[in-house]
Amino acid sequence: MSSDSRSYKAQVLAELLSRKLTRPLVASLVSCVHCGMCHTACHYALADPEDPRMTPSYKGDQLRKIFKRNHDWTGRVVPWWVGAKAPITDEDLEALKEIAFGTCTNCRRCTFNCPMGVDTASINRTMRGLLTAVGVMPEGVRVVSKDQWEIGNQMGVLKEDYLETLEWLSEELVAEVGDPAAAIPIDKQGARVVYAINPREVKYDPRTITNAALIFYAAGEDWTMASDWWDQTNFGLFSGDDQLGGTAGRRLFERVAELGAEKLVISECGHGFRSTRCEAQNWAGVDVPFVMESAVVTMINYIKEGRIKVDRSKNAIPVTYHDSCNLARSCGITEEPRELLRLVVSDFREMTPNRQENFCCTGGGGAMSMSEYTPRRLKSAVIKAKQIADTGAKIVATSCHNCVDGLSDLIKYYKLGCQVKQLVDLTAEGLVLEECAVRRTPRRVVPMPEPLPEVGPAPARALPLAGRTVLVVDDEEDARTFIATVLEDAGARIVYACDGDEAISVAKRERPDLITLDLSMPGKDGVEAFTELRHDPEIASTPVCIVTGHPEFRKVIYDRPVPPPEGYMDKPVEGEALVKNVRRILETAHAAA
Amino acid sequence: MAIFTHGNISLEVDEDGFIQDPEQWNEEVAKALATTEGVSELTESHWKVVHYLRKYFLEFGVAPMIRKLCKETGFTLKEIYELFPSGPAKGACKVAGLPKPTGCV
Repeated sequence: MSSDSRSYKAQVLAELLSRKLTRPLVASLVSCVHCGMCHTACHYALADPEDPRMTPSYKGDQLRKIFKRNHDWTGRVVPWWVGAKAPITDEDLEALKEIAFGTCTNCRRCTFNCPMGVDTASINRTMRGLLTAVGVMPEGVRVVSKDQWEIGNQMGVLKEDYLETLEWLSEELVAEVGDPAAAIPIDKQGARVVYAINPREVKYDPRTITNAALIFYAAGEDWTMASDWWDQTNFGLFSGDDQLGGTAGRRLFERVAELGAEKLVISECGHGFRSTRCEAQNWAGVDVPFVMESAVVTMINYIKEGRIKVDRSKNAIPVTYHDSCNLARSCGITEEPRELLRLVVSDFREMTPNRQENFCCTGGGGAMSMSEYTPRRLKSAVIKAKQIADTGAKIVATSCHNCVDGLSDLIKYYKLGCQVKQLVDLTAEGLVLEECAVRRTPRRVVPMPEPLPEVGPAPARALPLAGRTVLVVDDEEDARTFIATVLEDAGARIVYACDGDEAISVAKRERPDLITLDLSMPGKDGVEAFTELRHDPEIASTPVCIVTGHPEFRKVIYDRPVPPPEGYMDKPVEGEALVKNVRRILETAHAAA
Repeated sequence: MAIFTHGNISLEVDEDGFIQDPEQWNEEVAKALATTEGVSELTESHWKVVHYLRKYFLEFGVAPMIRKLCKETGFTLKEIYELFPSGPAKGACKVAGLPKPTGCV
């Protein structure tokens, strides 16, 4: 098969693989003997034993075939004999997407049960990364990754909303304990501990933030939360995009270092902990000047040091513990949660199997964000449901936000009637505040934080972009006309440019509210034009939304030594998504101004 | 894509049971969806939450922060969870006809 007949994306994917090959990955690719041991390790395969596509070795074979076709001499000479096959069309890539994202949560249980030491989850993550690099991924993963790149957290929480929420939680906690010292400190320079969270906590379920704040307060900890780059989760782990992984990690690391903290405490999130503590330094190529710790370890230490006191009889309902895949199998955190649970609950029951042998909650690997695969996910959850039911426990404790949602879903589906709680909740509910450090030591007087100004929603307009001018830069007439028409229909006034030089002169003349910028254009291309725009003081602050057919250029743009673009969209763009993005950028810029 | 049916209501939902086309939402649809979220009867308090979520979504294209929901409806977080046992993200948003929230939820 000549490589010329491959689609552009298939060609790029094949080239990218050669740059991703590491010794451990190649070892996993060449050493599978197809013995079938992994079949009995995988919750997808166990729940659907008649479907051979659910066997982990089959999933690993997808990358193995491409590897053989391009990198192994047998596959180049006699591909039909050794099963070597590289994707050719975009449809082939879609089929690979279904397997890599829809039939594996990268939980690594098969890895621990492979006699040859094949790490199928790493193979699958590499496949996801290759697909993501050419823009082939489930819509949910695309949206979340985009928010993490552009807004800085995976749920697109804006800074003012984040701060307003923390202020609200802080006020309620202060009122509850009757002490202004219980307020949540923001950006406290030189605090010993910085606490980083999952955006899910601040957006939908902030009870875990309040509980953590109560524990820090009770322990008399000198702690703070950062006002930005506070997201400890990392969709780069799920999408296989090491560039996103490195960028998200580096932002958090730099913020903690700026605040001068000794320690970063990571809230209970399995993938967040693994990404931040174990992977992101490698992805970003940086070292960090502080310690990183799971909140579980922090809580145990507080109890052992006598800084907080917990009464186990307050948590009398039977509790079992579900090990998060990322914590147990990838970070070795198995004993700490059990030690903590035995200190804070009076009836702890093990689930079987457990620790590194536990089964996935079925929501791992970003599965909760991919609705299209939910029926298969819930089918595979029959294994987990039985494990939980067998314990007879009424509370399933876990140290992972993803597991909370995965478990809640399957508990509802299989009608198990259990609650899911995190260890921070059980610890806070068992606290005996009168006997904690904060009530025993002389009181520090902490001034209440200044209230933030009220930020109201942007005023409603007849058309969402009325009164706005947008400069549309693209060398292709069709693309230019499409973008312009969509934005015009939404009320914007449009000005045009066909290349980089023209973009800069029109921007200076027309002073648009926003620029949509194509990247590959003849003459001065979009990357150069973008850098020049950012360096020109007259137009440096104009928001830019990149609209490109090259998702792989994202890192090139984000690595420029200038402020990153406000938006980044892959072609082909949909009209509705374009308007929504442009509107979001303009409203964010408005709120920040 | 899946089809959700309840009584004489039949509409397209995603695999998690969230409405695909927000235009198809009405109060009868909300009542039907509520049965899948452990809410047997929508009280005045439920409607207050549902109408706020829907209004916010139609204006901004995303679900509001839990802070905004509590502030605008006057309910505490605990009360929201009492009204919608599966929480604001999955329970309340689904009944209000919003698409599934993005991210790990």
